[in-house]
Amino acid sequence: MSKYELPKKFDYKNVNILKQFITETGKIIPARVTGVSASNQRKLTRYIKIARFLALIPYTDMHN
Amino acid sequence: MKKYEAVIILNPNLSSKVDTFTKDFEKLLSSNSFNVVKYEDVGRRQLAYSINNHNKGHYLLFNIEGDPANLIEIENKIKYNESIIRHLFISVKEHSGEDSQLLVDSKNKKTEAEEIENKKVEKEPEVMESTNKVEAEEIDSQEKVEEQEESKEVKSEEGIDE
Repeated sequence: MSKYELPKKFDYKNVNILKQFITETGKIIPARVTGVSASNQRKLTRYIKIARFLALIPYTDMHN
Repeated sequence: MKKYEAVIILNPNLSSKVDTFTKDFEKLLSSNSFNVVKYEDVGRRQLAYSINNHNKGHYLLFNIEGDPANLIEIENKIKYNESIIRHLFISVKEHSGEDSQLLVDSKNKKTEAEEIENKKVEKEPEVMESTNKVEAEEIDSQEKVEEQEESKEVKSEEGIDE
């Protein structure tokens, strides 16, 4: 079993779940590392990018 | 009719004027034949990065439904509103009737903060009283010592006179 917690429905507002799939520097972790299915990885990237736009999660750790 | 989710981040300095803003926004929506299905006031939240030199933002979530053509007009009006630091409209298949995770998190934080404050309020007065008593006793003893010294001096002066 994967150690990651996947929701039934992905949502850009669920910050705690999305934070599992980004590195400390804010990059999206590749699916070959996390073992997330390809379709889930596509959804994840989409919602991570929305959450970034809304300043819920950082783009990078270089923000001032 | 299409279903949308609207996220609006307001200037945190205008947090007190949220009610008037939401009223105006709902008027704007209804004038463009949009229905507000659900409205959530998440409140002030720390931004992950600063936007226009703001480190905090007041998040508002709307579940709305209406005509796509009218949405462009709404967006055009919102674009030049300076109290909004960021906005986003997303089309969704279905509105989830439940509270969003953002609102749940902010509520949890508030209750935690309240609990901590309540504990402080319960503890602080006792501590304050005890310290006050100690201080008062110290002051009393100091005064007594000073009085004694003064009386000694007076006595010694009397002795010189004799």
